[in-house]
Amino acid sequence: MSGYRLKLTAPLEARLDFSGITPAALAGLGPDEVARKPVFLGNRRVALGDVFEVSAVASAALVVSGDPRLDGVGTALEQGEILVEGPVGALAGARMAGGRLVVRGDAGESLAAGLLGGRIEVSGHAGPRLGCALPGERLGMRGGLVLVSGDAGPGLGERLRGGLVLVSGDAGAGAALDLVAGTIAVAGRIGPDAGRGMRRGSLLLAQAPETPAPGFVDTGSHDFIALLLLARRVPELAALFGGGLSGRAQRLAGNRLAGGEGEILLLQ
Amino acid sequence: MIINGVEIRESFAEAFPMAGTRLVITADTPRWARTAAATMTGFATSVIGCGCEAAIERELPASETPDGRPGVAVLIFAMSLKDLKKVVPLRVGQCVLTSPTSACYAGVKGGPAIPLGRALRYFADGHQMSKKIGEDRIWRIPVMEGEFVCDEISGSVTSAVGGGNFLILARSRAAALSAAEAAVDAMGTVEGAVLPFPGGVVRSGSKVGSKYAGLIASTNDAYCPTLRGVVPSALPDDVGSVMEIVIDGLGEKEVAESMRVGIAAVCELGAEAGVVAIDAGNYGGNLGPFHFKLRELMANAGGKA
Repeated sequence: MSGYRLKLTAPLEARLDFSGITPAALAGLGPDEVARKPVFLGNRRVALGDVFEVSAVASAALVVSGDPRLDGVGTALEQGEILVEGPVGALAGARMAGGRLVVRGDAGESLAAGLLGGRIEVSGHAGPRLGCALPGERLGMRGGLVLVSGDAGPGLGERLRGGLVLVSGDAGAGAALDLVAGTIAVAGRIGPDAGRGMRRGSLLLAQAPETPAPGFVDTGSHDFIALLLLARRVPELAALFGGGLSGRAQRLAGNRLAGGEGEILLLQ
Repeated sequence: MIINGVEIRESFAEAFPMAGTRLVITADTPRWARTAAATMTGFATSVIGCGCEAAIERELPASETPDGRPGVAVLIFAMSLKDLKKVVPLRVGQCVLTSPTSACYAGVKGGPAIPLGRALRYFADGHQMSKKIGEDRIWRIPVMEGEFVCDEISGSVTSAVGGGNFLILARSRAAALSAAEAAVDAMGTVEGAVLPFPGGVVRSGSKVGSKYAGLIASTNDAYCPTLRGVVPSALPDDVGSVMEIVIDGLGEKEVAESMRVGIAAVCELGAEAGVVAIDAGNYGGNLGPFHFKLRELMANAGGKA
């Protein structure tokens, strides 16, 4: 299967809704048909060809120029790969269920909102509310893997229900807000108020939060076989913390103020 | 057929379909991995009285286990999938969960799901925690010693084979035992097959039925040396003791290979070591769908008729 390269002819002057443009949606279409695909630019319906220069490429992936106003890249992606050369706007990978989305740049807010499966890699920073619930929904991301090489904005993993988020840099304020389940790992520093309303799930940290949300109980340091297992089954997690986990961690259980049984694990 | 002075009798082992799975049990040290595995596979010699058949398959170095600790692979078999789904969580719950530092993982991918953590998590009384990695879920159960970690389920096969066997006919008890030990040692290298009886050896093979109502199996009198002449005997005059090796495997191929390796090891000792013949247990061929013909198995093992 051959894919397409969509190259922006100029920086976007309004937000472009890229949802619905996936390798599967373009499969079997000729370059002219791809160029005629309608998308919304601001409140105007335009053709893909009005904004992008469309060319066929040998690789199976859909390659797209990045722009901070390019929203909804990889929405509901089920299979195949989308490679963005540059930044993306809001809601990249929203409700994605499979396949791979690679962003060579920063991602805007609500990256991986309602993610169900698949893999998202961001080489730059991610904006606020990574993995949050989509508007009108109760639960955030439910599965899949998100790797952020830079920092993550405030509200990381808000209402997360499952899956794994790995952040190499720092995380902003209010991480793991109302976390329901799932795992978030942050290699850098974490902002204030992490874990407010957290019910279940795990927040894996290399450094203790300076001001975590109230409601966590220190259960002491323990040797966790589950961490040894995770490190071997998820090599990306081991790599995030320098190649391996000792298994030893201080366990802060909570958030007890919300009746939660989740945990902040401070890796040692 | 005679190999190294040992007669390979014109007989076959009759085996049955079973449901089976492999579990990987790890612990902080090999000693405790072995302890958990030995306990979990205890009292599991024959489905007739134990409800399942199980044994240690092999020891695993730390590099081959899911959590990087020393481990032991065990195989467990039951007559039906329903039975297997019942005995596995029972045994893991009583014998592995309770064993210090242990963890328990699926050793078979795919096939019908056998519950592990799916059943055992309730022991945590609401404090159980799970993590889903890809398609696989693990459970963490807080226990007094720390945490018990296990996979949610193990896969299984319904094409497993139970009851592969051969009999070692020897001049004396000592000769039979040495030959059986040699066979067990050699068969331990075959992956996917185990010997569920004590140390791999059965000294009390059975026949179907009994003179007593309600007993479904009784001593295999045709092979009892002290009954020669009392009952129609299958033993030549120079046989003083018989021991049986029973094999269960995840497939027909594994059982056949295990039998071949075992018989070859016995034949290598040969007549000089007091081995007279190799025979096999069957029920006339009408009960079990798998027939392992001894002479076919050994045809490529350098025998001459």
